[in-house]
Amino acid sequence: MRELGTYFWERRSEILSLTGEHLVLVLVAIVLAAAVGVPLGVLLTRTPRLARPVLGLAGVVQTVPSLALFGFLIPLPLLGGIGPRTAIVALVVYALLPILRNTHAGIRSVDPAISEAADGLGMTARQRLWWVEIPLSLPVVLGGIRIATVVCIGIATIAAAVGAGGLGVLIYRGIATVDNRLILAGALPAACLAVGADAILGAVERRWSGVSSEAAR
Amino acid sequence: MRKAFGAGRPALDGFSLEVAAGETVALLGPSGCGKTTALKLVNRLLSADAGEVRVFGLDVASEDAVLLRRRIGYVIQEGGLLPHWTVEENVATVPRLLGWSVERRRARAHEVLSMVNLPVAEFASRRPRELSGGQRQRVGVARAIAADPGLVLMDEPFGALDPIARRALQKEFLNWKGQLGKAVLIVTHDVREAFRLADRVAVLRAGRVVQVGTPREIEETPADDFVREFASE
Repeated sequence: MRELGTYFWERRSEILSLTGEHLVLVLVAIVLAAAVGVPLGVLLTRTPRLARPVLGLAGVVQTVPSLALFGFLIPLPLLGGIGPRTAIVALVVYALLPILRNTHAGIRSVDPAISEAADGLGMTARQRLWWVEIPLSLPVVLGGIRIATVVCIGIATIAAAVGAGGLGVLIYRGIATVDNRLILAGALPAACLAVGADAILGAVERRWSGVSSEAAR
Repeated sequence: MRKAFGAGRPALDGFSLEVAAGETVALLGPSGCGKTTALKLVNRLLSADAGEVRVFGLDVASEDAVLLRRRIGYVIQEGGLLPHWTVEENVATVPRLLGWSVERRRARAHEVLSMVNLPVAEFASRRPRELSGGQRQRVGVARAIAADPGLVLMDEPFGALDPIARRALQKEFLNWKGQLGKAVLIVTHDVREAFRLADRVAVLRAGRVVQVGTPREIEETPADDFVREFASE
């Protein structure tokens, strides 16, 4: 254990910079996925006919093994190639489903009596969305973003396979040289990132659900 | 007027009723008689299949539904308050929708809260979950009258309350009614409530108005056995 600590310490600058790369990959992917997934999720609540096929498709895409998806993306023009762009596209694909599904479920979980009260008071559909439905479903939407983030932190280790950097670099190098310490040097920080992100986003979520706790009833 | 949901018996058929300015009319009937449907036709939460609804002399079908609703107060069971907003924000909703200034809507919110006997200092910044059922209902009434509408619709406003809170609010309602002079259309399945609160009562059965009259007329000369039985409960 002590020996492992020394090993990490000697490689601290590399571990830190790769952790930074890893975080940037995940952050960019989550911001993009939320920018697409939240409006799309809201839209699906307005067009129930589309909800089932779109959510179904997103679910199917989710089942493609991540290593294979990275592989498929490499030859594609614009989206693919070698480097961070390919990795971000793949991460967005994986982050999209939880965000989309939770946004859709969150808006739909708003008590119909509350929505009708909003209509009855004379809110426009847009006012009802921004003043009532989004605030009341925010804890659920944030839950989707939290799940997507944790999933992406794990999947982003595979990004090293397409030359996108991140903590996967250490893991791949460890596998190639049969060096467990090197694998741990990538895996442990990734696990810490995932646990930390879960805790922080979980706290944000709870803060909000305190405000709108009656929405869930 | 007629309104149907899907196939089968229409929810309302051959329905006709007038409410004069300053008058309180109760829609009374057993559950499923179409009384809530009738109420929602007035503020266009539903629209009629045939016939017309006139509010302040204008056909509602020709008006913008959103603007129409801002001119009609609406009270629903358990208040229907927005849980993430404070009492003051809830009460000031329609003034806000109408574009009143922050100071003006705040002053008005305080004014109507006092009218429904909720001390501003104690209640303005509470959230709905920190209120009792009766308090929530009072906030619901305050919200409905905040923008001073000429017509107020009430859907089982006191239905979710225990008998004591219910009686207290009914009594207060009679006070507001005298002070405000608004037209009120109130839906209830409770005969005693209808007789206590309303100037005239419309008894509904299976989507039709069976009888309209003052509580006394209905009690003394019921139109048929259904009304007699219902009124004697």
